Amino acid sequence: MRDVLTIFGIIVRQEKRPFLTGLLLAYIVLLAGVALLGISGWFITATGAAGLVGIGIQFDVFRPSAAIRFLALGRTAARYGERMLTHDATLKSLTVLRLRLLDAISRLPFARLVQYRGGELLNRVTADVDALDGISLRLIVPLIAAALTYLTAFAALYLFVAPIVAWFTLGTFFAGTLGTLAVAMKVARAPSERIERAHQSLRLRFIDLFRSKTDLIVTGNLQYQLEKADRADLRLRSNQRHVDTIEQGVGVALGLTSLFAASMALALGADLAVAGTISAAQAALGFFAALALNETMAPLRRSVTEYGRMQSAARRVTRLLDEGGKQAVALSQALPETQAEHDAPTIPLRFEAVSYRTAQNGRQILHNLSFAVSSGERVSLSGPSGGGKSTVLNLAAGLLMPDEGRIDVMGRSLGSYEERDLRAALGFLPQRSMLMHGSILEALCFANPTVDEDEAWQVLEAVALDSVIRQRGGLESMLGEAGLGLSGGEKRRLALARVLVRHPRLILLDEPTEGLDRTTAQHVLNGVQHYLPNSAILVASHRQVEQNWAQKDIRII
Amino acid sequence: MADAASAKLKDLLSPVRKRLQVSGLLATLSSLLWIGQAAFVATLIGGLLQPETTQLTIAHCVLGFAALGALRILLDTAAGRMGFNAADKVVSAVRARLARYEAMRSPQAAGTDSSAALAALLAEKLDSLRVYVTRYQPAQIRVSIVPFIILGFAFWHSWAVALILLVAGPLIPVFMILVGMAARSASEKQMQEIGSLNSLLMERLSAAVDIRLLGAVDRSAQGFETAADTLRKQTMRVLSIAFLSSTVLELFSAIGVAMVAVYVGFTLLGEVGFGSYASSLSVYEGVFLLLLAPDYFQPLRDLAAAWHDKADAVAVAGELAEREAQPHLPILGTGARVAVDLKGVPVAWQGLSFSYDEAGRVRYPDAQVGAGQSLAIVGASGIGKSTLLALLAGLIRAEEGAILIGQEELAPENADRLRSNMEWLGQAPHFLAESVRRNLTLACPSGAKPDIVKALQSAKAQGVIDRLPDGVQTRLGETGAGVSGGEARRLLLTRVFLSGAGVVLADEPTADLDPETARQVCEGLMALQKRGATLIVATHDLELAQRMDQQLVLEGQDA
Repeated sequence: MRDVLTIFGIIVRQEKRPFLTGLLLAYIVLLAGVALLGISGWFITATGAAGLVGIGIQFDVFRPSAAIRFLALGRTAARYGERMLTHDATLKSLTVLRLRLLDAISRLPFARLVQYRGGELLNRVTADVDALDGISLRLIVPLIAAALTYLTAFAALYLFVAPIVAWFTLGTFFAGTLGTLAVAMKVARAPSERIERAHQSLRLRFIDLFRSKTDLIVTGNLQYQLEKADRADLRLRSNQRHVDTIEQGVGVALGLTSLFAASMALALGADLAVAGTISAAQAALGFFAALALNETMAPLRRSVTEYGRMQSAARRVTRLLDEGGKQAVALSQALPETQAEHDAPTIPLRFEAVSYRTAQNGRQILHNLSFAVSSGERVSLSGPSGGGKSTVLNLAAGLLMPDEGRIDVMGRSLGSYEERDLRAALGFLPQRSMLMHGSILEALCFANPTVDEDEAWQVLEAVALDSVIRQRGGLESMLGEAGLGLSGGEKRRLALARVLVRHPRLILLDEPTEGLDRTTAQHVLNGVQHYLPNSAILVASHRQVEQNWAQKDIRII
Repeated sequence: MADAASAKLKDLLSPVRKRLQVSGLLATLSSLLWIGQAAFVATLIGGLLQPETTQLTIAHCVLGFAALGALRILLDTAAGRMGFNAADKVVSAVRARLARYEAMRSPQAAGTDSSAALAALLAEKLDSLRVYVTRYQPAQIRVSIVPFIILGFAFWHSWAVALILLVAGPLIPVFMILVGMAARSASEKQMQEIGSLNSLLMERLSAAVDIRLLGAVDRSAQGFETAADTLRKQTMRVLSIAFLSSTVLELFSAIGVAMVAVYVGFTLLGEVGFGSYASSLSVYEGVFLLLLAPDYFQPLRDLAAAWHDKADAVAVAGELAEREAQPHLPILGTGARVAVDLKGVPVAWQGLSFSYDEAGRVRYPDAQVGAGQSLAIVGASGIGKSTLLALLAGLIRAEEGAILIGQEELAPENADRLRSNMEWLGQAPHFLAESVRRNLTLACPSGAKPDIVKALQSAKAQGVIDRLPDGVQTRLGETGAGVSGGEARRLLLTRVFLSGAGVVLADEPTADLDPETARQVCEGLMALQKRGATLIVATHDLELAQRMDQQLVLEGQDA
């Protein structure tokens, strides 16, 4: 429940007004429903009584009938307003949550970020946010609106019918609803979490089945994989059955609650009417109002089963938000250990006796590595794959921290940089990069907002992409999701252009010409050199063309 | 297309049609019991004013009301449970059938859609049929019965009340048709908008590393917010029309109830003299009619509330129909494992041809590879090297010609058995979301005790395992640890060593590798041949091709 409330807090803080108005309208809708039926019942009985004793002429028909018509129209208007408002607020809360999540994720350590690239985790995060959008509007607003309606109805029955009818009717509603919800939410939690896990494993098994189909067929495991999916399906179904049973139970409990309340209102009211304490019309008012209160129950029934899903989603999302928050704290605490500069600022990158072990199993990747790259110099890193070339670049870019030794960028210790300054000082093209939906110019402006068209063409020319872009229709031509529309090599070059257009003084490139033929590769490398002649360039490479281009080679084994 | 989708939906539900009808009828019966409850209440209230009109006591009436109410709860529960059972049966059957249908589709003809989309359809989207079955179907049956019976009762007591209901009721379907059309396109549009917001988030999340490296975290957040805001405004504009449908329903239902109440009230006062049959309405009749009025509209409102469920279900059915309309090239056999002797056997083919479409028919030159011999298939990209390997493995059926493996001709009946002596070294491996051990022993005969250490040495892959956090217990795949392209290739080679297969098919085994790793993979393949395996390699790595005993050159040809 705590996590659910945390998320609720985040959402409500951003949209107090729509939340309160939505709540008010939801309350009006429920209350108008109760009033409409209650007054109608009272009106008919009262007119009947008046007609029987022949005083029909004196009976004030206009106010009640006007009230009935007003309630009918007012309720409809309130409902429309509530729908519009709550949906608008839901969409807003989606944005708020997603922004918070984006913010938290962008603060995660790089190692975790790289992990998050795997589609499945992302899928899960987005699905979680979807599940949470209803916390305020489908769970908490109906609950509060129902409670407020009960209180108002209690006051009305107390004043206009009889205290005992109010106590019995609303007491039943309060106790029945709260008791049912409390029990059901508790019982439904475990199976609805299991449903989610079963869905997840079902999806993973199907992804495996289709992605590895060739391997599964040749190794004779296709049928086995299908059976595994069947087993996940079976698990899913048995938990769905469990939750359905709970839901039916909730239906029965809520149904009995409202039946009991209506029966009590009827019996008590009739008794009092016979005794002459209240009029028959008042008794009818009590009964009809109790009947109309039934309407408060429908959204509650649904929220019970949604709650389990919301709860586990809320737990994961808050954990992610926390993780991002902690990371921010850790970064700022690491800052004060700034060291005085002892190097000439002309050396863009210097490694001094750097050692690095993997965090996972402590395997030594780098041992006592020292080198420097000066302005205008091009240095390549060579060696077998998995040997540590990328590790050197990741260390230089501040994505990993060395276990021993010291790394200086522009003459300052890496640890003394604020993230923003470090990113401005160096440009890093990792092995894999992602492009986003949008125009070519937008892609470049994303990296550097001051880029104009001339500059854009210059950098595209440097990476030998200008003619390709011209053919596609220029800088305004659009890319699809993840750069769809460009070939692999073209995407690689646009990603490189994004790095260059920031004019970093230190450029770290991880296999920049991967997937390019020799001629294009040579062209691109020369373009980089001409575009930024004074920058220091460190390139991890296993291609001859890249190593020849560099003036110096460092072999990493 | 919409018709095909609706027809498909009907078809999907046909096995449970009876059950759904019973469930719907139970729900209908429950709704009708309300008429009895209303009669008890009306009797009681009428009796309070005119005790002479009834013999029933207060206790009788309250008990009658409560007993019928309890019976309704029972019927509703039973109907709900039957609906659930029907939905469960439908969804599970559709899932199993679709999974098998798609599993048997040749990986060479997988089509353009992604595995992730198909997996999402199978694992999650199919469940939207569930809500349709449990909510929409019973509402539909109720709406075709309940309002008419209530109208009959109303007419019996007062033609004016019946007229009020009749006018307010049928106007609803008229409005529904108008607004429903708008609502449908609105809900589709809304789904699209929400979908694009999600994909926008996905995009930003998967590019999080790049965004940070480019120092664009704030710009990215602002951009997202603007886009999300635009989407929200568009969506709301569309939704405002959609909500009219439910508002119209509400309005007519509320006005209907109000008009009945006011008419009945005025009649009871004697101010209105028309609309009833005898002298005037009794209090009993007044209360009874008022109680019936809301329930006359309720089934219509339930049906409208389930509108989205129907739209979702139709969309899913449409997707299923579309899939079935695609051409379906099956694999040979079922992909099951058969126990066989593992030994190198000769492989040969004659007169083989294959085409994905009319224009691109490929005729393959005949070839013979002796047991324990090796063959390189070379030729330009796109000439059909990979397809030839797929034909040999029975992943797709040849149009003409015969493939002999050992002494047998490859056919659907023996494909599983022949494949059990085969292994495949692919180009772009995808590991199962399971441990390294399971991934490596995938091809091992059940019950065998594989010597993983030795196989890792043979494939020069021990280093790969050492780098993984939990060694051979590390989970790979979507949610697990990642390995680089070269590492993956060496792990696959390990799997081939472990399988002991007599025929090894390798598709571009050295593509995209650095020279060092490429050499190791090449050595590994030679070691496999030395062990007695028949080796067939599709490659354009000339160095690798030259180490094979024979070369088969595929050349461009006209159809």
